Amino acid sequence: MARKRGRGMAACWYGIARTATVDRAAAWAEIDDGGSAKIVTGVTEIGEGILTVLAQIAAHEMGLKPEDVVIGDNDTARAPEAAHAGATRQTYMIGNVVALASREARAKLVQVMATMWDVDPVTIRTENGFVFAENTNHKISMGKAVEHCKQRGVVPVGSATFGTDTTGLDGADGSGRPWQAYVFGCQVAEVEVDTVTGEVQVLGVWAAHDVGRAVNPKGVEGQIEGGIVQALGQALMEDYQLQDGHTTTPGFAKYILPTSLDVPQINSIIVEDPDPIGPLGVKGIGEPAMVPTIPAIMNAIYDAVGVRITSLPATPEKVLMAIRAKDREHAQAAE
Amino acid sequence: MSDLAFSAIVNGRKISRTAKPSQRLLDFIRDDLNLTGNKEGCGAGECGTCSVFVDGVLMKSCLLPVAKVQGARIDTIESLAKTGELSVLQKAFHKAGASQCGYCIPGMVMAATAALRINPFADREEIKERLGGNICRCTGYQKIFDAVELARDVQNGHLPVTMLDGIDAEQGDYIGKNVSRIDAPSKVSGRLKYAGDMLMPDMLHVHVLRSPHAHAKILSIDTSAAEAMEGVEGVITCADVPGEDGFGVFVHDQPVMARDKVRYVGEAVAAVAAEDPVLARQAAAAIKVVYEPLPALFNAEDALKPGAPVIHDYAPDNVTKHIPIRVGDVEKGFAESDLVIEEHYDTQAIEHAYLEPEAGLAYVDHDGVVVVISPSQNITHHRHMLAKIIAKPIAKVRFIMSPVGGGFGGKEDMIYQGMLALLAMKTGRPVRLVFTREESIASTAKRHPSKTTLRMGFMRDGRIRAVAFKMISDGGAYGLSTEGVMRKAAILGAGPYVIPNLQMDTIGVYTNNTPSGAFRSFGALQTQFATETHLDIACERLGLDPFEIRRINMMRDGATTHTKQKLKSVSIGRVLDAAEKASGWEKGVSGQRYGRGDLGGEGLRPAVALGARFAADTKQEAAE
Repeated sequence: MARKRGRGMAACWYGIARTATVDRAAAWAEIDDGGSAKIVTGVTEIGEGILTVLAQIAAHEMGLKPEDVVIGDNDTARAPEAAHAGATRQTYMIGNVVALASREARAKLVQVMATMWDVDPVTIRTENGFVFAENTNHKISMGKAVEHCKQRGVVPVGSATFGTDTTGLDGADGSGRPWQAYVFGCQVAEVEVDTVTGEVQVLGVWAAHDVGRAVNPKGVEGQIEGGIVQALGQALMEDYQLQDGHTTTPGFAKYILPTSLDVPQINSIIVEDPDPIGPLGVKGIGEPAMVPTIPAIMNAIYDAVGVRITSLPATPEKVLMAIRAKDREHAQAAE
Repeated sequence: MSDLAFSAIVNGRKISRTAKPSQRLLDFIRDDLNLTGNKEGCGAGECGTCSVFVDGVLMKSCLLPVAKVQGARIDTIESLAKTGELSVLQKAFHKAGASQCGYCIPGMVMAATAALRINPFADREEIKERLGGNICRCTGYQKIFDAVELARDVQNGHLPVTMLDGIDAEQGDYIGKNVSRIDAPSKVSGRLKYAGDMLMPDMLHVHVLRSPHAHAKILSIDTSAAEAMEGVEGVITCADVPGEDGFGVFVHDQPVMARDKVRYVGEAVAAVAAEDPVLARQAAAAIKVVYEPLPALFNAEDALKPGAPVIHDYAPDNVTKHIPIRVGDVEKGFAESDLVIEEHYDTQAIEHAYLEPEAGLAYVDHDGVVVVISPSQNITHHRHMLAKIIAKPIAKVRFIMSPVGGGFGGKEDMIYQGMLALLAMKTGRPVRLVFTREESIASTAKRHPSKTTLRMGFMRDGRIRAVAFKMISDGGAYGLSTEGVMRKAAILGAGPYVIPNLQMDTIGVYTNNTPSGAFRSFGALQTQFATETHLDIACERLGLDPFEIRRINMMRDGATTHTKQKLKSVSIGRVLDAAEKASGWEKGVSGQRYGRGDLGGEGLRPAVALGARFAADTKQEAAE
């Protein structure tokens, strides 16, 4: 048969947030008129879905709906520092700090309502835009509660900062505490290798990743799917090439990227081992999602046709040459 | 060529304008009509983000001169939600979570709209084929296919319209729920403005002159001819930098524009701000730079040889960063091992290929604050560096992060924002720079290519006894994130396994290649590729299942990492179990079952040859 199937697997681990240095982030929160909320923090979407995650966290903590949360722009002159958009740190650093700032804003509003209703603040609940006291008839809209706050001279605001307990590495033996949260992952890939052309099709990937706690499972899947396809590009086709310092892959006609026709079915399994340190238990997924993919594919190619590709990418030419070399070896061994 | 009296029906309205016959339709709709929903991703018809309908047919507007579409009916992404209400397909993209950075999405929505117009019953495989001309770098396409299938089923009445609605959580618990992305409506409709879509009154256009040499001394730069051109408002070189000229994520070794010498092809040498982009390009071409080529280094091994040319004076050995990790006694560990396996691994340089090429604007505000708007992934650090470069207090520097059309680490470097700030200061006017795809590929960071030698010693029962791991990585001409990438590579490279004797060395090296920098998975990808492949080789030699060898060696709760950190909770066992179970893994020894025909169960897509997916739709149509 010209086409052979195989399966391979690989595992990974990854550190969350900035490496071997103290990471930190801050946020401001306000429960606003009409029962909406403002969150201001130095963060902007780079596509991962952080704005939605932050709106969910703020809504959850303050008792609003996510669509009632307005997130301010990332602007060094208008927002507190939340540092960079990278290092698989946004949900962890900024998600946690938004939770803390939201809790503080909520506590101010709850205190006003507790005094007004003459109840213990711990009995007050805020949910989906309403404020009520357990086991009483007191229930009003969040907008009305904000009005009460303002009539009493209180603007329900909060601010928070979140930092990591981390250190640099020793220059001689590398010892240190580079992160306070780690995640782990494992992927299985199934491939079909065409032994006539050397072409590898990745048909399916099963990806199990610990993310701490998934704020938005669909967003987590999106990160896993996108990461796997980027890794598939590096595994099989992408190659930035230079000739004496000049690129010979200057545009997308020469630099080949995965398209809709190249992608496997991706089956994500979200595992939740909550972070014991941060207030939410969240960790992250952006970068670890693509770490096990390449070795899983290479191990699957080996399983399918018995050739070990150790130099990326596994282009059809390279796979075919390896298959032919193996066949020659077998033929010689048989003689 | 004389100007063309151009008229067309755009989004249902007749428009008439004077245009150059060779002007691209994409520029006409974006620049002349300010319909910025459709984007430029590659300018070569490869990525599809500029896709529009011309007389109802899906076309790539970057390839069409306006003269070709005289009198035609043109519909852009803005035509789909003209009344403000999103189309079924746009709502389905929102619901399915099909947009991430959003930059490819207007083109993707157009292509998907075309697909369902051509065949309202297209199955998933046909949908893939019909979206084959549109690149998405974020999503992995899966949620896009989901969205098109959802829209198809709603349109055909197979699913109720309520399937497109958002969710309300019970008792206000929104954590763990699939809340639809709050930024999606702006992305699926093309309303979101990325930096390259933004305009400011009186704005100038910037063009950058780049080095044609990999390594050369700059003998002189003469900007007088460029400066004399009418409409050229500012020309800058390194001589215009008032403060400490240097940026980089770890070491500030890169000047805003080349100073004294160039170190890679594509490095910025000078920049021009002019009334229009064509003039800016012409003026940049009029700058005369005299170079004296220097011997150049094109691979990391050569750069490490004694007597190699020196690229940065501060690093006479061309080493950007070496990170060592040491545990136990590795030679003793190998001596104790029953089996020692050595192998070499190579990984290549990779382009981030975010669909949004770099772009930015800068201006000086009424209080004398220098403001830079760009899709930077790290405005906090950028403002610290820029304040030093332009010799102003931090409060006089303001960075605004515009929506990022894909980053993946590639937009962490302050590669052009310094030039924008200097030109805004010099001209007193807002300035804008938009990279071409070619400029983006040639001048910005790549994933570090790597060469690894890995030696692992095992006991007969599969336990790892010793690991010696050495990776040499080409960091290219400037430091950027090399130090951090080497650090992460070293800490994580040997994997989440108990290793009593470990010697890990990751070495980043300067060469005259395009700089390497931050890229999603940051050194951990290169090193764990080596380790995880190596474990598979070991399985074959030791007669073990690949899950088994990892369980034998994995760290457990309370483990000590290679950097001697105690971990409270280690979830590797749980993810191994989950992947093994979900995939229906057949236990067996790696490498002893190839050619088997027992695969092809659930969780896979069909294997197909290009074009074969269309066969499905003829059957489908016949069935309907």
